[in-house]
Amino acid sequence: MPDSKSSAEWFEQSSLLLKARPSSTRITSKYTVLKPTASKIRKRQKFYENYPKTTSGPTGSPPPEAAVAAIAVTATFKLKTYDPVSGTCLKYQTTKAAEVGRLVGSLGKLGRHMAALPEVTEDISAPSEQPGTGVATPTVENDAKSGGPAAEQKTGGGGGKKKKKGKK
Amino acid sequence: MAREHLSNDEFFTQLTNLFEHNRTKGHGSVYLTQKRITHTADSDAPSPTKILDDPLWDTHPEHPLPILIRANNNKSSKREGTDRPGTDRDDHDRIKFTTVVQPDQLDAFYVRYADVCKTGMSALKKRDKKKKKKDRKKKKAGEVEKKS
Repeated sequence: MPDSKSSAEWFEQSSLLLKARPSSTRITSKYTVLKPTASKIRKRQKFYENYPKTTSGPTGSPPPEAAVAAIAVTATFKLKTYDPVSGTCLKYQTTKAAEVGRLVGSLGKLGRHMAALPEVTEDISAPSEQPGTGVATPTVENDAKSGGPAAEQKTGGGGGKKKKKGKK
Repeated sequence: MAREHLSNDEFFTQLTNLFEHNRTKGHGSVYLTQKRITHTADSDAPSPTKILDDPLWDTHPEHPLPILIRANNNKSSKREGTDRPGTDRDDHDRIKFTTVVQPDQLDAFYVRYADVCKTGMSALKKRDKKKKKKDRKKKKAGEVEKKS
C-alpha cells in the first residue's frame, strides 16, 4: 500500500478501517532521525566545493558549512494504520514539524474510535488544544445505554466531519 | 503479562526521556503504537456463541474500552569487527514501556501526548521563515513603488 498523499486522506481511510475492525487495528507512529551515510557526506562536500564555480555571481555562494550542517540529518514522522486480520495497511509520512500537533490530534480522534466512544462533533475547531473531558462523560452514558443508536450517531458524525473537511 | 503498565503521568516522563535519549544519540527511531484492549481483568473475552450470534460485536461494545499505548526504540550495537563507516555508535538496550488510557481520560491524555511529541520530535523540519521574510520585503517594495 503506497503512502497517502495527504494526512486528511490517511485520517479518513483510517477512521473507516477502525470503524470496520476496531479490535484488531493498530496505529503505529514512527519518528526516525537518520544520519546520512559517509558516501553521501562526501558527495555533498564535493558539490559544495564546486558550488562557487558553477554559479558565477557575487551573491550566489551561501556559506557551505552551514548548508552542510542543515541537511546533515533527515528526520521523518511516519504513521501506519494496520489491521493484521484483513491485511490492510494505510500509511502517511511527513518531515514537517508543523504537522505533528495536528497528526497526534487525529491519533486522538482515532483513539476515540478504538475506545468505542462516539465522535465529538461539536468542538471540531480545536479538539487537540482543549481537553474535552466534560463533553466525553455524557456521550459515554449514551453509548452504554444501547449499542444501536450509538452506531448511528457515529456514522452521522463521520459524514458531518467529511463535509466540513471538504469545505476547508 | 509479566510487565506492568505505567501510569499515564509516568508514561509521559518516560516518553520525554526517550525522546531526549534519541536526541542526544543523534540518530535512531522512536515507535509509538496504540490499540484497543479487548481483554481486561474485569471483562472476559466474549464467548464463541456470542461471536456467532453477532459477528460484528466489536463494532458496538457495551462499554467504552481502554486503549494501550506502547512506546519503544531499537537496540543499537557497536558493530564491532566491521569496516563499515558509521560505527560511531554505542551499545544501547531497547527501551520499552506501555500505559493504559481509560476512555474517560482519553482527551486529556492526547492533549499532553501531542505536547510531548511536538517537543520531542525536534529534528523535523521547522517552518521556513526565510521565504516569508522575502515575500514581505517584496510586498513592501511594491507598496513603496505604488506610492511614489
